[in-house]
Amino acid sequence: MVLEATLICIDNSEWMRNGDYAPSRFQAQTEAANLICGAKTQLNPENTVGVMTMAGKGVRVLVTPTSDLGKILACMHGLEIGGELNLAAGIQVAQLALKHRQNKKQQQRIIVFVGSPIKHEKKVLEMIGRKLKKNSVALDIVNFGEDDEGNTEKLEALLAAVNNNDSSHLVHVPPGPNALSDVLLSTPIFTGDGEGGSGFAAAAAAAAASGASGYEFGVDPNLDPELALALRVSMEEERARQEAAAKRAAEEAAKKEKQGEQQSSSQDVTMTDQDSVPASEADDKKKTTKHDEGLLQEAIAMSSTPSYPSGRDTNMSEVAEDDPELALALQLSMQDGTKDAPSHSDMSQLLADQAFVSSILASLPGVDPEDPSVKDVLTSMQNQSEKKDEDKASKEEEEK
Amino acid sequence: GYREDEGLYLESDADEQLLIYLPFTQVVKLHSIVVKGPEEEGPKTVKLFSNREHMGFSNVNDFPPSDTAVLTPDNLKGKPVVLKFVKFQNVRSLTIFIEDNQSDSEVTKVNKIALFGTTVETTDMKGLKKIEDNH
Repeated sequence: MVLEATLICIDNSEWMRNGDYAPSRFQAQTEAANLICGAKTQLNPENTVGVMTMAGKGVRVLVTPTSDLGKILACMHGLEIGGELNLAAGIQVAQLALKHRQNKKQQQRIIVFVGSPIKHEKKVLEMIGRKLKKNSVALDIVNFGEDDEGNTEKLEALLAAVNNNDSSHLVHVPPGPNALSDVLLSTPIFTGDGEGGSGFAAAAAAAAASGASGYEFGVDPNLDPELALALRVSMEEERARQEAAAKRAAEEAAKKEKQGEQQSSSQDVTMTDQDSVPASEADDKKKTTKHDEGLLQEAIAMSSTPSYPSGRDTNMSEVAEDDPELALALQLSMQDGTKDAPSHSDMSQLLADQAFVSSILASLPGVDPEDPSVKDVLTSMQNQSEKKDEDKASKEEEEK
Repeated sequence: GYREDEGLYLESDADEQLLIYLPFTQVVKLHSIVVKGPEEEGPKTVKLFSNREHMGFSNVNDFPPSDTAVLTPDNLKGKPVVLKFVKFQNVRSLTIFIEDNQSDSEVTKVNKIALFGTTVETTDMKGLKKIEDNH
């Protein structure tokens, strides 16, 4: 809530006719200036803003610092483009206008838009900068339009001379699809030196960003955190599913050879080694990047088959966040799900381990291991897994 | 304590000039002033303005100072400068403008500023007592 008197210096030289910023440099500039006026007056009702032009027939103050937003916006209309930018004179006149402000308690700030070549020497600008610093005037520079090194160098020297405790800023806006005002919204010129930003700026930024889909998923986490979280979680689950499908596709070829070996190797992959899990996941990711489209189709096919243990995953995901043990079990189940029957038996072996199961169940909210119905389910699952083993054993016999 | 510590000083920032504003909590009369500083970068020309608020570097030359003092190395060691007493009879605030320093260097350093004077007799509100009606 800094009490400030701001003077905005507009560059209305011939260079502003250029269309590299839509619709034209001049219009982009006036839009940005309007936004600044709004933001400053919202930050503190006693803030005043003034406007002046630096090119045209000569340096001219259009509005002396006032808190009347209507007056400021009105004077931006009917501005004419022409002439050359006179940066030194412009800044000096701005300083003078601020010196004679009505409320001496306000801090002084000049915001300069530079969109054409600067004809002054670096030394001149440095001297002006030092004078501004001595009179504790902060300076914000918006450098747009001209990409040449000369301008940037001079402006950086000017900023170095003025800057006092990071109260002054220099912002480069390259030409591109984003509007000048949108780019400025995220800079310290609007966010007020990291004070936490004005509500105006934040809301405008959110609107602009969601329109340009600047946020992931197109939802602002500030506006709707739950939705953003839900979207992110579902995206991660889908990604994990795709990785699993990739791994499955890669291993399908080797599956038939390795079936005998896999039985013993999968037993090793129990609760012990945490390092192996992220390593295998990293491998999965590599495979996904290589065979993207084919895997996507497989993933879709996978998710439609009933044998895939994805149903279990979605239920357990929220609980897993609280319990690291459970999270590890979840990871293992995802990884195991990609392997075939041997891993199923492995999983069922884990389930058969009563101690392990009861510890998981105890940590699940609302589930009492002593409950007879739970016990029934457990025993039935054990029977099922035994049946599966029997089936598989008979299958193997048939194949032989 | 810290008052006489030579290592602590006030240093000018952008150039060699310093502008110090001292508002008083009551009206005072000033008699003399002591400005201590290092021999080289200590202040030389000191202008004093009484009862002028919100002075800036740009308007120091707009009105004449109430008094001007050119400091010698003796002054910088602690010898007081006697002021024109008549000019400082009714002082609510004092602005000290240090224009340059002894060695004309980029930076001016000041170690201590001391003001000597008296307060002006004003009504002590705590002394006011209600007149008892004793008829």
